[in-house]
Amino acid sequence: MIISKVEFLVRSDLDQQTLDVWLAEEWLMPRLAADEPQFSEADLARAQLIHELKRDLGVNDEGVGVILGLLDQVHGLRRALADVLRTSRAHPASDDEADRS
Amino acid sequence: MADPYETLGVERTASQEEIRKAYRRLAKKLHPDLNPGNAAAEARFKEASSAYSLLSDAEKRRRFDAGEIDESGAEQQRQRYYRDYAGAGAGADDAYANPSGFADFAETDDILAELFRRQAEQARRAPGADLYFRLAIDFLDAVNGATRRLTLPQGGSIDVTIPPGVQDGQILRLRGKGAPSRGEGKPGDALVEISIRPHRHFTRDGDDIHLELPISLKEAVLGARVRVPTPSGSVVLTIPKGSNNGSVLRLKGKGARRRAGGQGDEFIRLKVVLPSGPEPELESFLAGWTPQRDDDPRRDMQP
Repeated sequence: MIISKVEFLVRSDLDQQTLDVWLAEEWLMPRLAADEPQFSEADLARAQLIHELKRDLGVNDEGVGVILGLLDQVHGLRRALADVLRTSRAHPASDDEADRS
Repeated sequence: MADPYETLGVERTASQEEIRKAYRRLAKKLHPDLNPGNAAAEARFKEASSAYSLLSDAEKRRRFDAGEIDESGAEQQRQRYYRDYAGAGAGADDAYANPSGFADFAETDDILAELFRRQAEQARRAPGADLYFRLAIDFLDAVNGATRRLTLPQGGSIDVTIPPGVQDGQILRLRGKGAPSRGEGKPGDALVEISIRPHRHFTRDGDDIHLELPISLKEAVLGARVRVPTPSGSVVLTIPKGSNNGSVLRLKGKGARRRAGGQGDEFIRLKVVLPSGPEPELESFLAGWTPQRDDDPRRDMQP
């Protein structure tokens, strides 16, 4: 579902300037369209997370970028791991010695 | 719900600063997005957040201490966290996908490495995003088809081929004209929503074109051959003798192209128009005229 910029600003409790900064920092990376960025529910949840990191957890701006980067790696790992588990459950033979490194 | 002081692990005499510090310590440990695989973290985090929102507000805390309100007076936290969107359901065009945590596992030759490679490639090969545009076109361009230039925000422009018969609100997909891939994938598509400007004379109903055609009293009574506009140029139409106001004539195949093939029709509704100024001969004729038929146009309106 696409959320317009106006709706996004309201629901994420942001002002235009702050949003511009977050976009420049690439903390948020919505799709681009002809007139303006198009936000998703995932972008909204990510904005909420950024608020909470700064407001509730006391993370400074530099820290936010580092945390989001590591968090994205964690989610990448989780997906890869889920994939591996799914595949090895479907094909038990691959439980054989796989580590040759 | 447990006692908020206990939840945060502070004394009832704790200062606002101590309460804030206690909450921060817990939040860092329990925040669901910092524990993406821990389902239980959410419940404990919500409890801590509720406790904090109650005690951090000086007025609410005072009322709670005085027994005026209980723990359930605290605000409820929202339900969804980023981790709910970042899981396996995330699509291949997820902007935030980052394989740097495991790309090195993709180096070896075995089946598991293959899976890691696939994950990394999905992120790398993910196609660019689709871009959305709106294009306003003229009525006749929509009926007959045309090529129109669309200027892109990132610079450059694309020529959009308007298919004949395109409908208002229809979305055209232009492959490969969207955003470039963040990695090495194909670019996304451009989705162009068409809006059709109204026409001076023509209106459209599905694949049919409608036109109101004014004709003179003489043309209506005596019949005539008149030139009428159609989307593909003007044609000569025979107005039958005695055509009444509101009669509809049909020009087959002069409408818009149908999706399934063939053409719609053009419907011409006649509007009989009296002379624009006084016509003394006409008036004197009518004053003395008794029609052969005893028509009463208001017959159906009798009480």
